[in-house]
Parts: sequence; C-alpha cells; structure tokens
Amino acid sequence: MADFWQQVVAGLASGSIYASLALALVLIHRATGVINFAQGEMATFSTYIAWALTTNYGWSYWPAFAVTLLASFAGGVAIHQGIIRPNEKGSVLRVVIVTIGLLLALNGLVTLIWSGEVRAMQSPFPTRTIDIAGVAISIQDIGTIGVVLATVVALWALFQYTKVGLAMRAAAVNPAEARLVGVRVTWMLSLGWGLAAVLGAISGMLAAPSLFLDPNLMAALLIYAFAAAVLGGIDSPIGAVVGGLTLGVGLNLIGAYVDFVGADLRLPAALAVILVVLLVKPSGIFGKSEVKRV
Amino acid sequence: MTRRIAFALTALVLTLATGVTAALAGPARSSADPGVTPTSILLGTTSPLSGSASAYASVARGADAYFKYVNGRGGVNGRKIVDTIVDDAYNPAQTVQATRQLVEQDKVFAVFNGLGTEQNLAVRDYLNAQKVPQLFAASGATVFGTEAGKYPYTIGLQPSYQAEGWVLGKYLARTQGAAKVAVLFQNDDYGKDLLNGLKKGIERSRVRIAAAQPYEVTASDVQAQVAKLRSSGANVFAVLATPKFAIQAYVYANKLGWKPKLSLTNAVSSASNIMQLASEGGTNKVVEGSVSIVFLKDPTDPKWKKDAAMKLYRSIMKRYAPSANANDVYHVYGMAAAWTAVEAIRRAGKDLTRDGLVKVVSTMNLSGNPFLLPGIGLKTGPGDHFPIEQMVLQRWHKGAWKSFGGIWGYRTA
Amino acid sequence: MRHSRALAPIAAFVGLAVIVVVLPSFVSAFRAQQFAYVAIYLTALIGLNILTGYTGQISLGHGAFMAIGGYTTAILMTEHGVKDIWTIPVAAVVTGVVGFLFGIPALRLSGLYLALATFAIAVSMPAVIKRFEGFTGGGGGLNLFGLPELTASLEPVTVLGQELTFNDWLYYLCWTVALVGYVIAWLMLRGRTGRALRAVRDSESAAQSSGVSLRSYKTLAFGVSAAYAGVAGSLFAIATTFVNPDTFPIALSILLLVGVVVGGLGSLVGLIAGAVFIQFLPIWSQQISKSPGAPAVVSGVVLIALMFVLPMGVAGLVARLRTLTKR
Repeated sequence: MADFWQQVVAGLASGSIYASLALALVLIHRATGVINFAQGEMATFSTYIAWALTTNYGWSYWPAFAVTLLASFAGGVAIHQGIIRPNEKGSVLRVVIVTIGLLLALNGLVTLIWSGEVRAMQSPFPTRTIDIAGVAISIQDIGTIGVVLATVVALWALFQYTKVGLAMRAAAVNPAEARLVGVRVTWMLSLGWGLAAVLGAISGMLAAPSLFLDPNLMAALLIYAFAAAVLGGIDSPIGAVVGGLTLGVGLNLIGAYVDFVGADLRLPAALAVILVVLLVKPSGIFGKSEVKRV
Repeated sequence: MTRRIAFALTALVLTLATGVTAALAGPARSSADPGVTPTSILLGTTSPLSGSASAYASVARGADAYFKYVNGRGGVNGRKIVDTIVDDAYNPAQTVQATRQLVEQDKVFAVFNGLGTEQNLAVRDYLNAQKVPQLFAASGATVFGTEAGKYPYTIGLQPSYQAEGWVLGKYLARTQGAAKVAVLFQNDDYGKDLLNGLKKGIERSRVRIAAAQPYEVTASDVQAQVAKLRSSGANVFAVLATPKFAIQAYVYANKLGWKPKLSLTNAVSSASNIMQLASEGGTNKVVEGSVSIVFLKDPTDPKWKKDAAMKLYRSIMKRYAPSANANDVYHVYGMAAAWTAVEAIRRAGKDLTRDGLVKVVSTMNLSGNPFLLPGIGLKTGPGDHFPIEQMVLQRWHKGAWKSFGGIWGYRTA
Repeated sequence: MRHSRALAPIAAFVGLAVIVVVLPSFVSAFRAQQFAYVAIYLTALIGLNILTGYTGQISLGHGAFMAIGGYTTAILMTEHGVKDIWTIPVAAVVTGVVGFLFGIPALRLSGLYLALATFAIAVSMPAVIKRFEGFTGGGGGLNLFGLPELTASLEPVTVLGQELTFNDWLYYLCWTVALVGYVIAWLMLRGRTGRALRAVRDSESAAQSSGVSLRSYKTLAFGVSAAYAGVAGSLFAIATTFVNPDTFPIALSILLLVGVVVGGLGSLVGLIAGAVFIQFLPIWSQQISKSPGAPAVVSGVVLIALMFVLPMGVAGLVARLRTLTKR
C-alpha cells in the first residue's frame, strides 16, 4: 500500500511541475489568445540565467532569483513588442510560425552559450525528506506545490481584483472595445507576455533542482504542460493546477499498474488525454464553453 | 503574355539558383581513391550539432581538435587530415542524407566517428555497397562487431554495450552472492544491449533481476520508475542510463530513502563531473560505493592531473577548441578515436586506399593510445572485430573514483 | 473565357515540367537526389495546402501521416515482398483513410485547438510505432537498402530506354508523382470543391448557411491531405532506404507547416519554394556555423525574419511581381 501512495506522492511532485509551466501557457492564452510554442524554451533560457548567476558569478539564490524574474519579464515584453506584435494582424498561422522560430532560436542559443552538459541547480527549499508511514515526501516537492498554489492565488487576485487585471482581460477578449474605453491594448498584451515569461522562469527554477538542467529541460515538460492546461481548461489558472496534479498522479498510476502502458506509452497517454478532452469538452474541466457569435 | 513569362522565369530562377550552387561543388578528384590527394586526406563525420543529443557533439569536436594537432606536426605520411563534420540532428534520415553528401558531393575517403547506433545502422548498407570505410562508428552496439562478415567496411571502437553489461554482471556474480537487482534502463538498443550483457554476466550465478524498468529518452523524469524499482525489494540498483537520467535516478533514490547495498552505472554516465552532481555535495548515500566500468582517462578525475597524456589533451583543447569545455569526457573519447584513426592511416601506407585501410583496421594490434587507460589496447583479427574489449572496474568513494581489480577482457561470442 | 484563364497556368506548368525533365543533365547525381527530396516535400505540401490554405485548418501533425505512409511502404516491402512503386498507392489509401477518420472527430476542433490535437498526434507517433515492435521493427526500424523490391538500389534500372542509377531514378520517380499529384489537386480544386473549401476557410457559419456541408468538406480535406502526406512518406521511405521512429520526428511536422507558410499558401511556385526551403534550410544553416546549437539559432532567426520580410510567403512575393509586370 505504501507503494501506491509513493506513486501518488511522486505523481503530485511531477504534476506540480507540469502545473507550473501550464500556468504560463494559460496566462498567455488568456491574456493574448495565443498558444506560445516557445514558452518552454523561454523558461529554459531564464533558468540558465539563474544558474549562471549562482554558479558562474557566485550570487546567492534570492538575488539571482529576483534578477532572473526581472530579466524574464523584460524579455517577454521585448519579444511581444518586437516579434509578436507585427505579426498579430496577419493570420494565426504567422504567429504560430514565429513562436516556432523563437523555439528553435532559443533552444539553439542555450546550447551555443552554455553547452549541452547537464548542470545542477540550487533549490530554494531544503532537500530533506520526511517519512510518513513508509512514504517518502520531499520538502522540496511540498515547497513546489506551495509556490504553484501561491501563484494561482496571485493570478486570480490579479484578474479579479485589480484594474490592471481587468484591463488585461478586456484587451484579450475584445481589443477594439477595450481601446474605446481607454485600455492601452498593446501594452496589456505585452504585460501578458512579460508575466507569462516570469511564470515560465519560476517553473524552470522549480523543475531544475530535481530534474537537472540541460537544454531540453522544458521541452520534455511542454507536452505535459499542454495536456495539463487543456485538461483543466486553457483559460483557467486553477484548471492548470488541477489538470497538472491529476495528470501527474494519473500517469504514474497508469504507468505503474497498467502493464500495457508501461513507461513507453506515458507520453502518448498524456496526449490521448489532450485528444479526449478536446473532443469531449474542449473547454476543459474548469473552462467556460466558448459561444461563437454568428 | 508577360504573366506567363514572369511566372516561368521565377520558377526557372528558383531551380537554377540551387542548381548553380551545385555546379560550384568541389572539384573532381582523379586519384585512385576519392578523398586522397598528395597533401590531404578527407574524412567525413556525422554529428548531432542540433537537437536533443547535442551534448554528444563533443565527440566529433575532440577528434577534430586532435587532427588539427597532428596536422600542425606535419600530418600523416605527409598528408594533412581534414574532417568534415555534418549535422544530422540525431535523426537517422538526416544521417542518410548527410552521409550521401559526404560520399557523393564532398567525396570523402572514409566516414569516421559517426555518432549514434540507429544513425550508423541507417547508412551501414549504403557505405558497404559503395565500399566506403565506416570507420570507428561512435556506438557500442554489438552488431558493429558481430556482423563483420556481412559488413566488412564497418567497424566500431568502444567496448560493446553488451561487454560493459557483462563485466558489471560478472562482478555481481562473483561478489554479491544471491543479490536481487533492480534495473533502470533506456528503452532503446543502447539500454537493451546493456541489459542483455548484464543478464549474460549473471548467468549461472545466484544473482537475479528482480525488476527492470525502461524509460524513454523523451521522458522528463524517471521518478515513477525509480519508485517502482524500490518497491521490488531489490538490494542492488543498476542504473543503465544516459547522464541526465542517471543523475536523476541517484538523486531520487536517495530522496526516497532507498539504501541499496550497491549501485552500478554504465560508462557513459560515469564521468566524475556527472557523479559529482549525483552525489549532491557528498550527501547522497546511494552514490557512495557505486561501481562502474571505465576505459578512458577522465579529465575530471584528480588522479590524472599530472598525467602527461591529460596535459597534452588539455593543451590540444586549449589551442584548437578553446570555446569548448575541456572537462567534458566525450572530447577525450573523440581524441582516442582520432589517435586510432591516425595510427591506422599511417600503417596503411603512402599508397593509401580504402581497402588498404579496412585491412589495417581489421587486423590491428595497437597499444599506447594515450587517452585510454594504461594497459588497454586496440586489437582486432579474424573473428574479432571489436577494437577495444578491455575495461577496468572502479568504485566511487568519498567523491572520487578508485580503480580496482585489474583489467577485465571480454570476447564476444 | 474559361479556356484563356486556364491557359497561362497550364503553359507555366508545362514549362516547369520541361525544366524538371532536363535538369538532371545539368547537375550532379547527388544534387538530383536532393531535388528528389524537394519533390517529396512538395507532395506533402500540396496536401497540407489543401487543408491549411484552402480549408483553413491548421495541422501540426502531417509528419505523422508521412510516418504512416512510410511505414506502410516499408512493411509491405520487407514483410510482403511488394515492389516499391506499388506500395505508393497503397500508402495513399491507407493514410487517406486514417486522415479521413481523424477528420471526423476533428470537426469539433478549430484553430489552435486543432493545432494542439495534431501536435499531440505527431509527438506520440514515434512512441506508438516503437510500441508495436513486432509489426514495425520497433526502435531498430526497417532497412530497405539492397532489397530486390527497391528499384535501382544496387543495379541501375532501365526506363524508357535510359539507364538510370539510384539517384536519377529517385529524382524522376518523385517528381513524376509530385507533378501528377499537383495536377490532380488542381483539377479537384478548380471547381465546386475548391470553392466550397475556401468558403469553409473564410467563414464556417456563412458556408454552412449557404448549404456547404462542413462535415463532408472538412473530413474530405483531411482525408485528401493525409493521402498526399502518405504518398510523400512512402517516397521518403524509398528515398532514405530506412525507416525508424526517429525518422519522422515532431520537427518534420513543424517543418511542413513552416514550408507551407513560407512558401505561401496556394500557388505552385510558393509550394516549390516551401519545399526547397524545407530541404535546404538545415544545410544552409550549417554553412554559417557548426558550433553545437548554432544551426538551430540560424534556422529560428531565418523563420522569424521571413515572417517579417515575406508575410505572405514566397507566393506573395511572386504575386506582387506579377502585378508589377502587368503595369
């Protein structure tokens, strides 16, 4: 029985990491209507910045963390203003191609600057494990779930209770009308990209201590993050968290107890989840169904 | 009328633009074998410069640096070796196209040090049909040695994965009594080859494999597998994985509080800098006492600090690959391969032919490769198409590897 | 009036066909083989264009359809001794049916959701192929080189009195298939079908209210475009003489979509430009730098730059040139 709970705990740990990246995807989609294929690579790049600051330049963790978040925010805004905005007026395809180009360029840039070698990343949390009835629970994983939940609360507060949040929602849902009431739509979209970049950076810095840092850190996670976001509802931060945790635990249990699936079909299983959800309830568990106006 | 002309002209321009670059491809060589001139030898290498396996690009880089060093000292038999490296992004379909480019456009003398098992397999038939040497394929797949009869132009270099697994298995059989082994392995030919070797090594002993969990190269983590392995009740943990996953496995096993009697890991993941990451500053209990095999000199192992060969290695890296990370052991492997290639080419004589080179590498007995451990030689002959079959066992103790037990040899049946 | 409108494209097409036929005499056999791959990508792009350009559905999964076609060919050749050219129509039918079946549930998805769903399929395809090892040869893949069913792989073949080595044979095979495929697509899209598909792209609700059955046309578009990708995959397997799960990675699906956008949706010249782009971009990026990671940076930057410089793709550039020459 302890084995079952161990798989559940392991699943919650992986799931919280999926959730953290899913939050970035959800934020970008909610704020700008775009699916950003480069989200993972942006997060990887940010994590490498944090790594370089702490390892190569000997900074201590929290100042490096803060600077990384600032740099990521600036980067996200710059990317939106410089690369995405000029392509927004065209078809959706142009934006997709541009985010793909960004994915390639960032992934290559990370390898070019820091090489493909595996690195260790410091964790903000102690690495101790506590043992409860034969199940090992790591403080780091509890910390990760804590940060993810805190982020969800912060996002929710932002969108529900602040003027900026309201402006961002307006800019995403109906840019033309938002402009009429004085919302600076372009800057709201850039703000969305900046915040999503920050969330991505946080996700990377949560993942790297246990998954270890190499250029493909987030690439492997991106699919799971998409699955989590779709499962929970691509516009819902709470959905991203519920989706991520459910996915993590679900995949672990299926992989452990259903022999047909095993380890090699974990990824297709996650993708089957995406497909089934998209077909049965495209708006996900917590999403609102889109009503198309004719 | 003008529309039609403009349309046809654009199509013409597009196709000719790429055609013109074709016409400007290298000059035809008129000597007996392509890729050999009185002053140079052209080799070709496919390497994963982009994509998820780009960490292995260091193998080609190390070899290239060594060739430049040799050229700086006059080359081989008066000829300089030029190694053209082409990116295949670790995709075998790209390897096929890249290899065709090397053979048909660049007209290389031999394909050398191509990285990857599937990647080499994809071009093996083609190269043998074209009678182009597939020299020292950078893969431990056992088939590159066992199928020499069918593919005489193909030869590997490093100890086969099966040999590695066998040595580890034999070590268990001789020292661990009735141990139960839990294996984490990569779900491809590489991992499966290692596992097969391990199974062969423990044949006719009391060691049993209690559980074996595969993982995909595309996985984000191996936590689920390690958790399952722990629950098998095994007391030996065999980590047959590539570096990132090996580190994750050690760290996660430690997190779970699993204390196996012994853990094992394979050569690819045994470099000291990787073990340092896994040891988590000395706190990781699973890593302590880990056993692995080694055949190269590890640049981050303090015992080689004063070693002349390692000093040479570092000076070559500094001069010819200054932006590369000299602590990366894959560069050392590349140099070991290049050293062997230089010696083989030298012995093939001034009248250099492809068949001549193949003959030399199929019956060679070389010692003194400075990048291999002392005592490990390169030997092939009729019925033995594996250049390196010797390895040394080492144990990780308090943050460093200590070799023990002398040199193990393996003859693939 | 219909005749003169058709005349210009027909003449241009004939001109292109002539160029295709004589080109191998001017370039090396190796270059001919590279151009054969251009024809392979062109075939896939023709299909993707029907789905994305005409019907407005985004697919990031056409690499998976190529995989189905490629494996169909490989399995038929290795297990059942079928000659390579006869596997091509089978691959078309098999992949077309799969595409059609996928189109049915895909009806409920649109825009980015469809992109995600097709992305999911493409990413999982290698793992699924590996899983059914007995059938597909698993991770080790299937080797076609030297099989008697593979034309010209060891001995030159004689076609129409001409002796062709492997590279030249491949070139003519692939271009013949691509050009025939283009003609079929052109005929299909000229009439009602083309107008209906474009109506679906421009406004699904408007199309529906004009009596266009969304269900029929969307699934038709999926089926047909998948069939083209299947044929491309089949030719790809024949050309590469080797298939394994990693020869059809997600990067291929992404490249196909990139090719169709860079080429510009809708015109033959655009599609050829897209195919050339897919084939030669990795090669060109390497010329700039061979440091690990550098080719990817170059490719990414080029993609982004192209969206700025040629937002309507090469086809857009050609269209602009045309309007210039008209003046």
